[in-house]
Amino acid sequence: MTTASVSDRPLSDRPAPGSPVLEVENLRVSVGRGAAEAVREVSFTVLAGQSVGLVGESGSGKTLTCRAVLGLPAPGVEAAADTLALAGTDLLGLDGRGWQRLRGTRLGAVFQDPGSFLNPSLTVGRQLAEPLRVHGGLSRPDARRRAVELLDSVGLRDPETVHDRYPHELSGGMLQRVLIAIAVSGDPALLVADEATTALDTVVQAEVLDLLARLREERGLGLLLVSHDLAVVADATDRLLVLYAGEVVEDGPTASVVAAPAHPYTEALLAVAGLGPGTRTRFPVIPGRPPAPATPAPGCRFAPRCAYATPDCTLAPIPLTTGPDGRKVRCLKGS
Amino acid sequence: MSAALRRPVARVALAVLAAVLLLAVLGGRLAPLDPLAQDTAHLLRGPGAGHPLGTDYLGRDVLSRLLAGTGPSVAAAAEAVGTALLLGVLPGLASVRFSAPLSWVALRAVDALMTLPFTLFAIAAVGVLGNGLHQAMLALGVLLAPLFFRVTRAAALGLDRAQYVEAAELMGAGRFTVLRTHVWRKVLPTVAVTTAHALATALLTVASLTFLGIGVQPPAPTWGGMLASDLGFLAQQPWAPAVPTALIMLTVGALNLLADALRDAEPAAPAPDPGPAAAAPDPLREPEEARDDHRVRV
Amino acid sequence: MSAALPVPAGRTAGWLLRRAARAPRSLGRVLASAVTVFLLSSVLTFGLGAVSDANPAAAVLGETATPADIVRLNHEFGLDRPLWAQFGSWLGHAVQGDLGRSWFTTLPVGDSIAAALPVDLSIAGLALLLAVLLGSAAGIAAALRPGSRLDRAVTALCTLLGTLPAFVVAIGLITLVSVQLQLLPSGGYVPLGQDPVQWLRFALLPALALSLDAAAGIARQLRTSLVGALRENWATGATMRGLSRRRVLFGHVLRNAAGPAVTVLGMSVPMLIGGAVVTERIFNLPGIAQLSLRAAEQHDVPVIQGTLLVTVAVVLVANLAVDAGLLALNPAARRGARRSAPAGAR
Repeated sequence: MTTASVSDRPLSDRPAPGSPVLEVENLRVSVGRGAAEAVREVSFTVLAGQSVGLVGESGSGKTLTCRAVLGLPAPGVEAAADTLALAGTDLLGLDGRGWQRLRGTRLGAVFQDPGSFLNPSLTVGRQLAEPLRVHGGLSRPDARRRAVELLDSVGLRDPETVHDRYPHELSGGMLQRVLIAIAVSGDPALLVADEATTALDTVVQAEVLDLLARLREERGLGLLLVSHDLAVVADATDRLLVLYAGEVVEDGPTASVVAAPAHPYTEALLAVAGLGPGTRTRFPVIPGRPPAPATPAPGCRFAPRCAYATPDCTLAPIPLTTGPDGRKVRCLKGS
Repeated sequence: MSAALRRPVARVALAVLAAVLLLAVLGGRLAPLDPLAQDTAHLLRGPGAGHPLGTDYLGRDVLSRLLAGTGPSVAAAAEAVGTALLLGVLPGLASVRFSAPLSWVALRAVDALMTLPFTLFAIAAVGVLGNGLHQAMLALGVLLAPLFFRVTRAAALGLDRAQYVEAAELMGAGRFTVLRTHVWRKVLPTVAVTTAHALATALLTVASLTFLGIGVQPPAPTWGGMLASDLGFLAQQPWAPAVPTALIMLTVGALNLLADALRDAEPAAPAPDPGPAAAAPDPLREPEEARDDHRVRV
Repeated sequence: MSAALPVPAGRTAGWLLRRAARAPRSLGRVLASAVTVFLLSSVLTFGLGAVSDANPAAAVLGETATPADIVRLNHEFGLDRPLWAQFGSWLGHAVQGDLGRSWFTTLPVGDSIAAALPVDLSIAGLALLLAVLLGSAAGIAAALRPGSRLDRAVTALCTLLGTLPAFVVAIGLITLVSVQLQLLPSGGYVPLGQDPVQWLRFALLPALALSLDAAAGIARQLRTSLVGALRENWATGATMRGLSRRRVLFGHVLRNAAGPAVTVLGMSVPMLIGGAVVTERIFNLPGIAQLSLRAAEQHDVPVIQGTLLVTVAVVLVANLAVDAGLLALNPAARRGARRSAPAGAR
């Protein structure tokens, strides 16, 4: 990997539009040694300029997936995959130094509760300038100038002032913008947003989503948008993966999945989000709770909560089947 | 509190302390030889027949001196802690009713006392009041009193606002009854913990004072005095200081273990003294592992 | 002797810690408190002399002092004035550096202290330096691999060192380093200004004996806060910016986790001074504690009062320095007032 220049990276260095920036094949994550896998057989690709949504309840494995992609597994968590590659760089077996070179340059991330991701005793400007200086080799005044530019580019009014603020002096929406500015400061190929809008109020949430969409367009970066809220993902993504109990249960273009969910769980999620076809008639709560990963049922994991479940559903593992339109679903209902 | 005393650690600690107390009371009578008798034929001998722990530079039996020295050391420490209890607990309870300015002054006075190093203050007290362990222990008691003042005040402050105390008062219980039944039950455990820690501190201070030759006349054996005389003969007997040190550390360690066991049994630590300038807690500043109230500055 | 209690983990915060944990609001407030404490301490120190029946004649002439001698010398030292007047002039002169004259030698007390204090300050300074170096190294090493063998070894060692009083450590060091290995002298002193190398030879063992307890405290505190801080989201955030582990640790985590350790360091100062009394005797150092001991033997009240007051002042100055350090580490407290007008998002 070449040393990433920050602002003036030649366009040729950016992934061509439509080329894969993240390839995940058969990702498996286990929590604790010898424990059952909390994430199984997760495969997807994010293309340059594309936005992919990862949706599921808490415990569905979306954050574990996200952390595996970022190389930040929690202690005791083991991740393995057949392929895990970022814009041509193999992430499997990447050492600490390799991750260091990727993070802050080709790989950016924003999270829920942005304030907690900033060091409370340093100004935001200093935290924004730090990767610019470390990765881009910018001088102090250059880094400051660039940092102010970045703060301006994420829609912060009066970026000069914001630059010198401490995190506790900014609002949640502003903090998320700052984090986004930091995440895109190295001109990443992939931006991972893990519940990035969850704690924000609706107006700010929409603004942040707009900002992410604009950055994706301007910079041609791939976006992996992780959320429990299908309403957030539905508007902001091109492709959608629905996770349930560590497995992909549905995978397809967002528009068609939202219009015609193939998996009962997706349908239920849409109903909860107030989007699905049956919204008015169905009570928007999914009964029951996700199974504990330690006790996998032999068949469909959603069966105990599913309105369409038949005895066949719990006999054998349900494969992820690809339909004629290229959509994938892990359900016996349609077949 | 009784539950705490049933724990194995507490039992071991109590057993050690009981043994030390027994030594302190019987002390000299248990000594196989006269702790002052000099045997010029057997100077600086190692442990052996007749002298289980050897002899010192005057040929005196080390075991006998150790046993005889226990009593004065323990008694002095108890004197200091007794003084501290007297000076600390009752004002601590009373301070709950102090007005805000008076509380502020009282707390600054406590700060002032806690700024003074124990040993130096004890030396000063001996200097102006006359050379004696009683004078030194009185001074030490004054410096230890803030510990009791603080823990009592903290416990009583928390209680002052507790609803069950209010309820008891509403039901017509007298001030004294409330104090006795409710406050004591709350305050006693923390006072017990502090007492154990203060005793440990006092024992170490006594050891350093007697080491410096303060409060005792030279031939009389004390733990610290033995250390001081051993220090001159390290070349001949490098192991000698280990004997009094072991006894000191054993006693101090047992007291600390006991204090920990007592505190572990408590459901909650006493509420921090809000003080006049209590600011919102800052998670960054709040130390996770904090030093104890009862730190030693001997 | 310094802290000898095995400090139990994570329970009641010490009152000093709590005071520091309250994050000093402003230096002015801290200063006001320190001045009050100093005034109260001076009352106490003066009161110690006032309640004693010691007088200059008895101190100098002993049993042979006649009532006439006593009256004459009392008048000479101003002891026949009312107490409040004595206190006023004593404190008034003391804050200007004049601590009166020794009853025994009639030398200015300030001069004797000025001669002795550098011994303690230089050794305490070295001890603090050693404590910070040893404590931080051990604390950081343990925190980087929590639960590892190294971590457990550090924790066990800290507990042991926290239990051993300084005089035990001092005797152990003399036995090992001076008597057995014959590497360093077991006592004596050369001023730092005269010959730094010789000074170091004499100062190293006493400083080490004094520092180990503080080092243990710092290591333990730093380990706990570092382990906590490394789990914080902002540490993950810094990692996500592609910063090296070293940079995350030293540039971010250490900065935020240092507060409690700085407090422990500040608390060590009175302990260092308290511990100095015995270590000075063991290592035969001409410091302030030896001065105080000699004065106590001679019932030389002005010297006793002077040493106490100077000690209190040193401790208070150290506490102030710690408070100022905590304030510098905590921008939230420093800039809280500016919070009102944040720039808005577009």
